[in-house]
Amino acid sequence: MKLANVKLICAREIRDQLRDRRTLFIIAVLPIVLYPLLGMSLFQIAQFTQQQKARILVVGAGNRAASPSLFDGNHFARWLFGDPKTAELLELHFDPQDGGVSAAELRRDANTQVKLGAYEAALWFPPDFATRLNAVRKSIVDRRAGRDDSPHQRRATVAKVPSPDIIYNTASDKSQLACARLCDVLGRWTKRIEDENLELSGVPKAAVRPFAIGAADVASPRLSQGVMWAKILPVLLLVWALTGAFYPAIDLCAGEKERGTLETLLCSPAARGEIVLGKLITVMLFSAMTALLNLLSVGVTGWAILTQLPGFGVPPVAAIVALGVALLPISALFSALCLALAAFARSTKEGQYYLMPLLILSMPLVILPMSPGVQLSLGTSLIPVTGIVLLLRSLLEGDYWPAIQFAPAVAAVTVAACMLSIRWAVDQFNSESVLFREGERLDLRLWLRHLIRDRGPTPTVAAALCCGVCILVVRFSVGPWITMPASPTGFALGTILTQLLMIAAPALVMAMLFTSAPRQTLLLRWPAWWTIPGAAILAAALHPSTSVVSSAVERLYPMSDDVRRALEELASKFQQTNVWLLLLLIAVLPAICEELAFRGFILSGFRHLGHKWRAIILSALLFGLAHGILQQSLIASLIGVMIGYLAVQSGSILPGMVFHLVHNALPLANASVTPAMFPPWAVSRLLVTPGVKGGCVFGWPLVAAGAVIGLLVLICFSRLPCAKSAEESLEEAIKRGESSPEKLVCPERTIAGG
Amino acid sequence: MIHVHDLAKSYSDLRRGQFEALRRVSFHAKAGQIYGLLGPNGAGKTTALRILSTLLRPTGGAATINGYDVVLQSAQVRRQIGFMSANTAVYDRMTGWEMVEHFGRLHGIPKDELADRMESLFARLKMNDTRDVLGAKMSTGMKQKVSVARAVVHDPPVLIFDEATAGLDVLVARALLNTVAEFRDNGKCIIFSTHIMREAEKLCDRVAILHRGCFLAEGTLDDLREQHGESDLEELFFQLISQHDEADCR
Repeated sequence: MKLANVKLICAREIRDQLRDRRTLFIIAVLPIVLYPLLGMSLFQIAQFTQQQKARILVVGAGNRAASPSLFDGNHFARWLFGDPKTAELLELHFDPQDGGVSAAELRRDANTQVKLGAYEAALWFPPDFATRLNAVRKSIVDRRAGRDDSPHQRRATVAKVPSPDIIYNTASDKSQLACARLCDVLGRWTKRIEDENLELSGVPKAAVRPFAIGAADVASPRLSQGVMWAKILPVLLLVWALTGAFYPAIDLCAGEKERGTLETLLCSPAARGEIVLGKLITVMLFSAMTALLNLLSVGVTGWAILTQLPGFGVPPVAAIVALGVALLPISALFSALCLALAAFARSTKEGQYYLMPLLILSMPLVILPMSPGVQLSLGTSLIPVTGIVLLLRSLLEGDYWPAIQFAPAVAAVTVAACMLSIRWAVDQFNSESVLFREGERLDLRLWLRHLIRDRGPTPTVAAALCCGVCILVVRFSVGPWITMPASPTGFALGTILTQLLMIAAPALVMAMLFTSAPRQTLLLRWPAWWTIPGAAILAAALHPSTSVVSSAVERLYPMSDDVRRALEELASKFQQTNVWLLLLLIAVLPAICEELAFRGFILSGFRHLGHKWRAIILSALLFGLAHGILQQSLIASLIGVMIGYLAVQSGSILPGMVFHLVHNALPLANASVTPAMFPPWAVSRLLVTPGVKGGCVFGWPLVAAGAVIGLLVLICFSRLPCAKSAEESLEEAIKRGESSPEKLVCPERTIAGG
Repeated sequence: MIHVHDLAKSYSDLRRGQFEALRRVSFHAKAGQIYGLLGPNGAGKTTALRILSTLLRPTGGAATINGYDVVLQSAQVRRQIGFMSANTAVYDRMTGWEMVEHFGRLHGIPKDELADRMESLFARLKMNDTRDVLGAKMSTGMKQKVSVARAVVHDPPVLIFDEATAGLDVLVARALLNTVAEFRDNGKCIIFSTHIMREAEKLCDRVAILHRGCFLAEGTLDDLREQHGESDLEELFFQLISQHDEADCR
């Protein structure tokens, strides 16, 4: 990698973007203008909603109680308001028909008036409201004077006071605001009536309300204002970093393709990696600048305008600095993703179609940390984007210790995600089908005919991906319809159908239809004899390590109660099932069906990518995703990598099947171990101890010994003459050729694949 | 200088299936020679030249440029060539001078040497009027001159021109052809693809007639005329293509 070339490409791209008015508008002009305008509008709206007068129709005003006073001319009495000036905001209109018309008609009329918007709300007093209320008061006085009725009658009198109603319209914001104000005013009025009644009855107020619940906020006003910003700023930062990266990325890739300048650049001595890095730095710079200017603009707007709104204070300076620091990895991640997507697009128009899916896919990762229960932990810090947002939120809330504690994990995950995204972008630039693809009409019939007619001995990458996606879609769409079987037979039937129809069948059908050598595709050949027992020993040796990793994963990402209950229910089904049948369902069947699909069809297809490890990891990820439950998916992905390696090195599916079988069977055997089976010697406790819920827990000496044995077996596998795909051989030859400065004299070489 | 042996390229196409754009073609071109690739649209000329310029990878055969393999040593190959096609465009937001300078620096030419070289190149190609003009404001002729300057600024031993005169008016096309001839006289090995027979007759030392990915004839112009008994290259071209199509129909 020549840094001089990267610098040159980067400098050219920056100059090019700075000469583009659209880019400058998005990066510089929009943030400077947008937030002050938005802030002003918000301020205006707040003023408008707070100070707008509401017209209230009062129906049956004559029926109200005389004391305490409710009205004062055309307004409510001033004592009913915390701030007497706000009394003017409720303008009362008394119903002129009062008295001459029936109560039901008056009510109907009031409803219509509010619905039509003539009034924001209406206040309706029932015809005998005052009479009933006075009767209650009289009964209280009589009771105090010793002239009260029987207790039964007393209760009846109190219960029969009809309540006044507020008539409002939820479809209108103004009406809802008027209703809220009315509730506030009438609440105070009702409380005064309660107090008067208590006074009449001679019961002290303290007897009814002996205490009030207090609340003490320990946060400093500055910190509590920071919380509001903690909710807004990280999301804003991410959205703008993504938007700021997207448009330059489209212009730099799809735009160059469209204008025909990309071909020129690709013919220059700059390597594809150098071109991608140069463009990436440019996109990163613009992404960071966009986000930074937006933050600054938000800060200034917040300081000047939003601080006048309740709940908003000046954003803390430390928080702004923390956001600035976090901006670099966020921009790098989004820039690499945008660049790879933009390289895939044929034109700027097509590129713009990809923005929304990227935004939709990123949003859950941004919104998840905003959920009240989600905190920064080792588990959440390992989720890309989410980890950064939680880290920022912790900093903004002044919670520094978790932020410091998990910052390395967040940084590691973000760097790894950046590297993967950059790798993807470089691959896009190396793929001639991406760089020079032409628009072809989508015709399903033609495509299927093409797949069958032009099939190769092994599936294409697209066919492998299609098979993986098919399995996932079928599993997740049919899965919710399958309820937990009530009997062991139902469980057996469900497992057999799932494994055969949802996993093995798609791979087998696709291998028969879309490849000319299904046996080669599914790796159905005998490997070196020792690989079969070798795989079994490997699975057994790694079992203690796998158990330790499983426990660690469960600690990192604890299972929800529902999932735990479902798994315990499943385990109870196991106890009712015959052990051989269980072995067949849990170990043998998945070992055959899942291996045929993931290490047979899918891995064979992915090997056309030209990189052995990329094929293994991608097939393992799909294998992990097919497991559904997060914790199981993580472990399955790791196991998938191991089995994929065995399949690639041995060139056969059989060692992988044996590994899978032993790996699935051992937890069953482990679960059936009882404390009585443990030897009484003290030394054995170093190796295994009884588990809390049965089974055994492996000691560190056994875990380490198993890992060493596993490593030795893996070394044996690594020495096998691994059969390479044509693409893998070519990539290796290119690596050798690029590093050799010597001239070659017209080698009569035939390149397969291509 | 350029050795091509059994070069093949096939694409997977929905409609046509496995479509062979290039079928085992072989040829050699030397320094100080213009090698013409003649063929109708879709003959496989651009595919062949894109393989030689390392933009595409062949699916069979091999090719070397100045001794470097186009697949295995693509980075070294790109330093040996200057590539220009009708499709290669200029950057809209860069001036002619900036564009040529950018590519010169990518080829690692020191700044002072590059400035001298560009001065003489701009004078030689009579393109001083494009120095401060942005790509978006250039005429087609200006753009073509800038493309040529960009392709030759690093003084490569091999030049690849893919239908370089397509879309140019007579005056600009003639000037470009004269420039290409000058490069040949300066010892460059040039591959020049075209479907205009008069250009090939005027310019090329050796030609290959390419149709549907196959070479129908290859040699010097005199050899071809003698072998096929046809003095007019255009007639010869029609004759070979018709014969090939008829044979295909049968």
